[in-house]
Amino acid sequence: MSRLGIAGIGAYVPRLYVPASAYRDAWGTGGAAGVERVAVADADEDVLTMATEASQRALDAADGDASDVEHLALATTTPPTDEEEHTVRLASLLGIDPAVPTRQFGGGTRAGAVALAATLDATGPALVAVADSPQGTPESDESAGAGAGAAALVLTEDGVVSVEGVGEYGEPFPGTRFRRRGSADTESIGITQYERDAYTSAVGGAVEALEDDVSATSTAGAAKRADAVALTAPDGALPYRAARTLGVTTEKIAAGTVVSQTGDTGSAGPFLGLASALESGVSSVLLVGYGGGAGATAAFLSAESDVPVDAVLDGDTALSYAEALRRRGTITGEEPEGGGAYVSVPTWRQTIPQRHRLVAGRCVECGALSFPPEGACFDCGSLDGYENAVLPGSGTVEAATAIGQGGAPPEFVEQQQRSGSFPVAVVAFDGPGDDESVSAPAQVVHSPAGTPVIGDRVEAVPRRIYEQEGVVRYGFKVVPTEARR
Amino acid sequence: MRDAYIVGAGQSSYGAFPDESYRSLFATAYEEALGSAGGVEPADIDEAVVGSLGVGGRQLGLSGPAVTEHIGLHGIPCSRIENACAASGYAVRQAVQAVKSGMADVALAGGYEVMTDMSGDVAKYWLGVSGETEWERLTGTTFSGVYAQMASAYIDAYDASPDHFSKVAVKNHANGAKNPNAHLGFECSLDDARDAPIVADPLNLYHCCPTSDGAAAVIVASEDVASACEEAVRVAGVGAASERVGLFQRDSYTSIASSAQAAETAYEMAGLGPDDVDFAEVHDCFAIAELLAYEDLGFCERGGAPELIDAGATELDGDRPVNPSGGLKSKGHPIGATGAGQVVEAFKQLTGHADERQVSGAQVGLTHNVGGSGGAAVVHVLEGGVL
Repeated sequence: MSRLGIAGIGAYVPRLYVPASAYRDAWGTGGAAGVERVAVADADEDVLTMATEASQRALDAADGDASDVEHLALATTTPPTDEEEHTVRLASLLGIDPAVPTRQFGGGTRAGAVALAATLDATGPALVAVADSPQGTPESDESAGAGAGAAALVLTEDGVVSVEGVGEYGEPFPGTRFRRRGSADTESIGITQYERDAYTSAVGGAVEALEDDVSATSTAGAAKRADAVALTAPDGALPYRAARTLGVTTEKIAAGTVVSQTGDTGSAGPFLGLASALESGVSSVLLVGYGGGAGATAAFLSAESDVPVDAVLDGDTALSYAEALRRRGTITGEEPEGGGAYVSVPTWRQTIPQRHRLVAGRCVECGALSFPPEGACFDCGSLDGYENAVLPGSGTVEAATAIGQGGAPPEFVEQQQRSGSFPVAVVAFDGPGDDESVSAPAQVVHSPAGTPVIGDRVEAVPRRIYEQEGVVRYGFKVVPTEARR
Repeated sequence: MRDAYIVGAGQSSYGAFPDESYRSLFATAYEEALGSAGGVEPADIDEAVVGSLGVGGRQLGLSGPAVTEHIGLHGIPCSRIENACAASGYAVRQAVQAVKSGMADVALAGGYEVMTDMSGDVAKYWLGVSGETEWERLTGTTFSGVYAQMASAYIDAYDASPDHFSKVAVKNHANGAKNPNAHLGFECSLDDARDAPIVADPLNLYHCCPTSDGAAAVIVASEDVASACEEAVRVAGVGAASERVGLFQRDSYTSIASSAQAAETAYEMAGLGPDDVDFAEVHDCFAIAELLAYEDLGFCERGGAPELIDAGATELDGDRPVNPSGGLKSKGHPIGATGAGQVVEAFKQLTGHADERQVSGAQVGLTHNVGGSGGAAVVHVLEGGVL
């Protein structure tokens, strides 16, 4: 069986960021080495929503459809819950067949590289999504550099970027990057030289193993031959420590590194670097995933021709440090006493096709669209039922408001504390056919002008809606088309 | 079917009363209603219907009997009606049905709500429970948000601005300042109303009614009973209708179809039309709702409401005063009491007991009570001086 190659790449970095200067203003010193800005996930974003956005872009780039995907892998060290089948929800958000094998990778920030290596022999088309949103306690180096981002690869038998070999290496360096059980904060014991040794040993070992891989024909001298080197980057300095070990120039590392613009994106880092490098036209990349503890997985990627890349790597909305603490939920409260509207989880589950994929109904009697597709047809009153009609996600604002501070129901109080006033619109979503639409309410994300104007065009995006009883409810919001990146 | 009459009506003051309970408030309203009925004794009451949303929880189940036992009507059939803010408008309709059908000669209808004794956090929960829960509420809206969306659509469709909402507030506060039972019984200037903080764009604080404690009660009786009473107002017409609960599921965002349909039914039963109405108590939970009511009740054409408020036609001395009581905006909005409270005001107006806010020459009055953002509506057309 021939190995799969990359047919398309997608990347998504949140639009919010904190400039290093804002961090320095707040703390009077420091900031992560070599990091100019860190990306910040909004209150309604997490690794699953970012992975969905990156995957949708990868599928678009590869001119593929989620319904064709035969294998799904998700790599993350910062899943929304410590234990749960996150790949299943990612598959649902994307519209991937439930019978498709799914694999989740974690444990350390080399997880993305491990996922790629493990998927090469899968049945294609395969989708590999890598997303992370690490955090640390506010005073820690981990927090200073913490970014957020996701990348996704579509792998097919005729993908134009082939993975010519894989090398792996592990050696115990306890305490170099870890997260305690039940904690959201990544930490390390903070011994500088020890951490550098862990990094260079693992990365160097993996690349050596790659270059010595006798089963691969063309990986000898891979590091020197690569046009760019894409490494896991806990900060903006550590990747360059590997230059001497690998015998490569720092320019090559710079060509495959985006950490200065995103901050530490954990397992997604080397893939965001890969997307950036391939987008700029290089033809070979040495990708190395590193995880604290320590282990590394290296792969040599060679492009026959330009690979389609749909990458959103730059933020466009700067936050102050205090605003970033709000967005991350560091200084905000939780759902207030008194509770929120209780929509039971089983009831919510019944609407997952609508929430994840905008599945409307077409009345079998009169052909009118209904959303959600339940009960009597709004047009003809028929009780005969509906056929699925998937909405493309674009729509027009029909009515709109903005809910000011204090005006949100309890289940949205935390979101409002974190992200502030939020617009809510009734949107006439375009139907699958011409000149048809069906309306649904939706929150509007990133509406720079405030309350949207009636007639504005919008597009659906995957977001966290709210969390109750520890269960995150995912659904759609909309973003003004003109603000979509 | 035989005629039904309102023979007595009363209410507690609306406001914030930490020393009262839902039952003590209802007892106050009941005592005033009974006192005004002159001729009806407690033993004559065959049935009771009580409206309440149940804000705060309290006695959520069996709250009807819990109220009637407290006022000494232990033993009679009693049921509670829940139709959000239209609960007691529907309770009155139910009592009218009982009398008109002959199953009761005298029926008590009313409602109560206690809304101001909760922490802000708990109140947040209850203020949105009648919105469409699974989709509308889960976009983060409560009622202010949904009515604000209607306001945005109205401004987009017609020649209207937030100033028209502010004028509704000024008018209703001017009336409420004359009502000793009003929760916010003070006058406000147009600048006050214009410059208030935004609640849900484009609605500001003065475009929204308060949440209140209060109760209201009316006694509905057959013609035989009414003939022997001191005062009687004929229930000339009753109409009620429902509409899709979620705004997004409706054909129009600039009218409330249930209001229009309920009005049509009530007018038809009464053999009267909008031009015959001397005054109206309408459901102005938000200022936009009063403007929509002008149109849904037929007081003007679609899009004509801003002109009506501009011209002062709905002021106390205008052609057809609307909300002489102060409306929900100034009189207050104890959810479950509001619909019956409107009938109390109409009764006082039609029997000449509205004192400073008396609409001169009032013969026909209309009450209009809406649940949620329009999921339920009920309209009564009441006629004074018949018996």
